Amino acid sequence: MAKTSQKATSRPARTIPFAGYIALIPFLLVIIGYELLPLAQLVIDAFIGKESGALGLENFIKVFTTPLYQQSIVNSVWISIVSAIVGIVVAFLAARFAYESSPRVRNAFTMVLNMMSNFSGVPLAFAFMILMGNSGVLTLLGQQWGIPFLADFDLYTGQGLLILYIYFQIPLATLLLLPAFSGIRKEWREAATILQASSAVYWFRIVIPNLMPSILGTLSVLFSNALAAYATAYAVVMNNYALLPLQITSKFKGDVQIDAATGGALACVLIILMVVCTLINNYFTKRASKGREIV
Amino acid sequence: MSYIEFHDVVKRFGDNTVLDHISFGIEKGDLVTLLGPSGCGKSTLLRCLSGLEQVSEGRIMLDGADITEVPASKRNIGMVFQQYSLFPNMTVERNIAFGLKMQKVAQDVIDRKVREAIDMVELTGKEKAYPANLSGGQQQRAALARSIVTEPAVLLLDEPLSAIDAKLRKSLQARIREIQQELGLTTIFVTHDQDEAMVMSDVIQLFHAGRIEQAGSPVEVYTKPVSEFAASFIGSYNQLSRDEFQTMTGADVPAGHVVAVRPETIGITPDAPTPADAAGCHVVHGTVVGSTPRGNVLRYTVRVGAVTLRVDALFRSFHMFDPGQDVYLSIPKHDCLNIPEGALRSAA
Amino acid sequence: MSTKAKAAAPAKKTPLAAKIFLAIVAIYLLVPFATTFIYSLFVEWTDILPSGFTLRNYIELFGNMTFWASIGRTLVLCLISVAITIVLLLLAMYVVVAVNRKLGRFMQFACMIPYALQGVILSIGIISLYTGTGTLLSNRMVMLFGAYTILVLPYIYQGIRNALNAIDANMLIQAAEMLGCGRFRAYVQVVLPNIVSGILVSSLLAESIIFGDFVLANNIAGTNYQNIQVFLQANMGKSSGLSSAIVVVIFVVVAIVTGIVLKMQNGSQKTAKE
Repeated sequence: MAKTSQKATSRPARTIPFAGYIALIPFLLVIIGYELLPLAQLVIDAFIGKESGALGLENFIKVFTTPLYQQSIVNSVWISIVSAIVGIVVAFLAARFAYESSPRVRNAFTMVLNMMSNFSGVPLAFAFMILMGNSGVLTLLGQQWGIPFLADFDLYTGQGLLILYIYFQIPLATLLLLPAFSGIRKEWREAATILQASSAVYWFRIVIPNLMPSILGTLSVLFSNALAAYATAYAVVMNNYALLPLQITSKFKGDVQIDAATGGALACVLIILMVVCTLINNYFTKRASKGREIV
Repeated sequence: MSYIEFHDVVKRFGDNTVLDHISFGIEKGDLVTLLGPSGCGKSTLLRCLSGLEQVSEGRIMLDGADITEVPASKRNIGMVFQQYSLFPNMTVERNIAFGLKMQKVAQDVIDRKVREAIDMVELTGKEKAYPANLSGGQQQRAALARSIVTEPAVLLLDEPLSAIDAKLRKSLQARIREIQQELGLTTIFVTHDQDEAMVMSDVIQLFHAGRIEQAGSPVEVYTKPVSEFAASFIGSYNQLSRDEFQTMTGADVPAGHVVAVRPETIGITPDAPTPADAAGCHVVHGTVVGSTPRGNVLRYTVRVGAVTLRVDALFRSFHMFDPGQDVYLSIPKHDCLNIPEGALRSAA
Repeated sequence: MSTKAKAAAPAKKTPLAAKIFLAIVAIYLLVPFATTFIYSLFVEWTDILPSGFTLRNYIELFGNMTFWASIGRTLVLCLISVAITIVLLLLAMYVVVAVNRKLGRFMQFACMIPYALQGVILSIGIISLYTGTGTLLSNRMVMLFGAYTILVLPYIYQGIRNALNAIDANMLIQAAEMLGCGRFRAYVQVVLPNIVSGILVSSLLAESIIFGDFVLANNIAGTNYQNIQVFLQANMGKSSGLSSAIVVVIFVVVAIVTGIVLKMQNGSQKTAKE
């Protein structure tokens, strides 16, 4: 006894090996409780058959054979792809022009982008109802002036949602693309000019290939963003449209009984779509950026 | 028994052995330089002594006590890092006072000591400045003051001048050496710059691949490299293989050795030297290939047969040779060092 | 000299096209909100121009106790969730900075998952896991706080990590350690004061994200605990005048927070450049 205590005093205490890790515990608990376990719960829900209660693909088979769910997947993918592509095209042009403008114009434009990128979800849906709803301002104007596109525009359908989705993709896409443009060196243009390249050649052979990794990365963000968007769609069409997030949520909430099995399977489909999108993007980004730094 | 002793210190990072059984002692009051190329383990040894890294094997003794397992904050060792180690949210004054506050020194004592330290590193007038508003040199002087104000048992300097421009570096080298001698502070200085090591050290420990290649005073290390590696790292030795040297001079060289000759020991003359001048020298005939001025010395490149030699000569007008000119070189025999090939122990 | 002038010549022509294009995009982005704003200030808008200027919608809104209650709930959710996340991350990042740097990759991974999950998956996962367990965890408020803590994780994590990298926190801790200061104390005394502004910026961003959240609040708490977005959604069918005023208020609040964030970010970039 005396011996050990003497030893302890003669050798100054080294820090306890795992004491430093204590600070990690609260974070781990929250991550496990509210990120990993809920995710695991959904996966478990998905693989336990609704009717049979057995482990298997029953729920997935149901999801892929029921017309409503098939339509939801198709609609979600379609609206995400279209809105992402329109968004990236507008954003590319906008970023390009912003990059060529004076700092004053560019700052003002960036300001608008930043402010309007927050304008999404329920408020955005409401604003579009005021604008293009059944008795919306533009709808009435369209009727008075005889513009059929505006007069007959139906916000509460797929095309209506598409307009909304495109709207919230544009500021996000432009904000994501703008930094990439500052990676374009002035010297490239000068070198291209000296080598007698036309403007089109300069853009298509030099600028766009160099921006490709950023463009693909942005496209992937836009796709996932649209795929998972819920508030905007819910505020406009409630649950009355075949769209993945709406269908998933309705299985866990609302008037009908909770159907975690189908909801879990649909959620898994949504997650798989996002993962696939990310993987495809990673693959192309790697190819596009091979051997050079990403701007 | 030395003031600091390393006993068989081994440090591994995964499978990579960074320090391979290092043992040596450091005497109290000395300034010892750990010199070597980057990745040779010199910084790691310093960090093991500081306590910021734990050794994998071996023991470290400080003033007779085993400090191997003492946490860094309890070792009473001062350290200056490469750069940016000043606390950005504190003024120079408060940075320097930090260590004393940790020791719970009385405020009036802190004030006095901080004042002295600031004077010592010549930062008077910058007490209230924040690090962001100081130049690199000023920051490192503040860092030096911060690490000496607590009167540590040892001062560690981890390439503190590597980020500072050449001219300022010279004056800081001198200032650090002055302060170290004034305080009699045992100091270990890590650098990859051999000139810096020569100027500042009492003892140089030359590192190579996790081992000590050579130890000694700057003069010893400079004039008597023990291996091909040491000769190539210190000075700008001409190194000739055994065959090359034997072909050039006809002299005999032991097997497994190379010959190293410092450029400034070689005489260069337009005509063959007189037998008296040539006494004790190998005299060879060659052609000047080019020359570059290096301060007060002109460095010639001279081709002798298949070998190219570097020769330093003082800058004197009567002694200028043009490229293509034939010259005679006198190489003093006792300055031709036969040294083992490669590095001493790292051949395996 | 002449090449420079030549290179500048075509560039001079583009700003007009640029201005027109940017103006069209800006107008397109501003129109929906501008319409809502005008709509909120008039009695009716059935012709080309609205008629009957009024502040009635705002007076009614600000006199509505349910509105203030939902604002209060939203603020409670914002402040508490963000505070929890900051504390969790600061503690966890201490381990990464001062104990084991290898955990950095794990932290990054764990903190980026919510970015991919987004609201829908997160909310239903939590509902499915905890509903009906009959414990404290099945309390809707507890679930909501947990969900928000995860939702803002990526933003606050990035803010803290960037701030720590900018000051080389590991180096500062080592320097303090050599001066006789323990690691955790060094983290609190030396590192934290230097990253406060970085944390502030990212937490403001996080506040605005929670302020704008509808999915989690609606799915998890629903009408039991209406936040401002759920309040808006509940009123949309009843009174479009009142709803337009709510939209304006939400937008103004978020715009102010965004403005502050941008200003602080620009400010820190400027000082970093000097």
